[in-house]
Amino acid sequence: MGFQITPAEYVDYLILAGEEIEKNGEYVTALDAKTGDGDHWVNLNSGFQKLIAMQKELKEMKLAPMLKKIGMTLMSAIGGSSGVLYGSGYLAASKALKEAEVLDIDTLYTFLQTELTAMMERGKAEPGWKTMIDSLYEAAKAYRAAKETGQGERQIIEAMKRGAEEGRDHTREMEAVKGRASYQANKGVGELDPGAVTMCMQLECLGDFILNHILFED
Amino acid sequence: MKKIINDPNQVVSDMLVGMEAVSPEVCYDREGEVIYRRKKIEKVGIVSGGGSGHEPAHAGYVGTGMLDAAVAGNVFASPDPARILKGIERADSGQGVLLVVKNYSGDIMNFEMAADLAAELDIPVRSVIVRDDVAVRESTYSTGRRGIAGTVLVHKIAGAKAEAGGTLEEVAELAQRAADNVRSFGVSLSGCTLPGVGTPGFSIGEGQMELGMGIHGEPGIEQTEMKSAAEIAEIMVEKITEDLDYSGAETAVVVNGLGGTPLMELYILAGEIDRLIRAKHITPVKYLVGNFMTSLEMSGASMSMLRLDEEMKDCLKLPCNTMAWKEG
Repeated sequence: MGFQITPAEYVDYLILAGEEIEKNGEYVTALDAKTGDGDHWVNLNSGFQKLIAMQKELKEMKLAPMLKKIGMTLMSAIGGSSGVLYGSGYLAASKALKEAEVLDIDTLYTFLQTELTAMMERGKAEPGWKTMIDSLYEAAKAYRAAKETGQGERQIIEAMKRGAEEGRDHTREMEAVKGRASYQANKGVGELDPGAVTMCMQLECLGDFILNHILFED
Repeated sequence: MKKIINDPNQVVSDMLVGMEAVSPEVCYDREGEVIYRRKKIEKVGIVSGGGSGHEPAHAGYVGTGMLDAAVAGNVFASPDPARILKGIERADSGQGVLLVVKNYSGDIMNFEMAADLAAELDIPVRSVIVRDDVAVRESTYSTGRRGIAGTVLVHKIAGAKAEAGGTLEEVAELAQRAADNVRSFGVSLSGCTLPGVGTPGFSIGEGQMELGMGIHGEPGIEQTEMKSAAEIAEIMVEKITEDLDYSGAETAVVVNGLGGTPLMELYILAGEIDRLIRAKHITPVKYLVGNFMTSLEMSGASMSMLRLDEEMKDCLKLPCNTMAWKEG
């Protein structure tokens, strides 16, 4: 029997992710001030705080409508570019997981891959462009590779976490193609992308949540 | 920071309250941060919007003969799709809605998603993207040229065509033609302070100016020593006419202040621009001189020039009644 994340448990993960984001305000804002306009953390944090405030309502919902609600909430509360990208990701995942009741080893992959595809389409962006997509892309890729080579669930989730971290770290060498950093002479090279950093935080939290709270029985 | 505000986090809504109070033609939808025409008319709706801090863009252009709704984001940040959808709904009278969008990643994504949401409500939507800033090199993958003050001319022409009863296809086609034929170039003399941040995002040294800086302070082409109005006009006219062939054309010209430059200086600049373009056998038939698309209190100016055809020329002359542009 593999892991199963119920909608209510997914909300528990969001709370952990929100707490992690809340803790890292100064770090992310300082990073963003170097390449962007310094508002990424404030906006993302207000999005997650909004979700935390709505936890009771979210926990009572089924998976697909809950993902849609999360998407609409993040879209409005975060705003700017990140809001619409997270919104598009969650809305697409909600559509793709219409039949699913929980996130398991298969549907979680569908979730990650759908979110990634939606963000790439909405942002007309590719991996390697120094964005939040880089963390998600490497995480989904590592997840798939581990799954296809028949590794256990624990290994797959650990691979996802490592993928996210590698994706984040690689943004340091990348040149920005989109957004404010792309107008800089050095295209932001030498700095991590703040969007990739906060995306990675969420994926790490999701991985840890599964490893510590869902899979600990085996 | 010295600003005439109440709460730095409420500047956008406080401003829109003020606009509603002083302009009998418009209403303020507080939920959507949308300024819209009080009286809905059976015609194609025109909606624009974007980050705040560029006033009078865009709410100042809502009214007869221009926009039906303007959606305001936070300072220098795109409004989200839910707000834009509110704007679309306010503007839609059953004949469809044209979105006029400035070319920034955030605006493009949010307006596209709003268009998707509108399609689910069976509202026909078309979009025109304005990318008039010749300071940015075009390339295949990057966002490319930014949309700046030339956007105001697209508002006017699209708005006039819609008011005259054009179909969504006709209005979109003409607006696209206007967007394709307008070019802009700006110079900045100082930085600006976002109310929510409190300190300037960057500064430009005493005796220095930056060529081609964006209206959010995006880096331009180069920093150089401060030049005279005649020299600045020459740079602007050269950059713009290098990019598009205006020879023999009739044009509309916007000499736009970025927020912190006095009208006196804008008129000096306009005089120099007029002399230079006439020498190039370009005939300006319409001038706008003033603050049309600003960057908070940034000092500096931009020039935009639209190459007109007969239809665009007619549309420019048609009446409009908005806070920031009155015609006829």
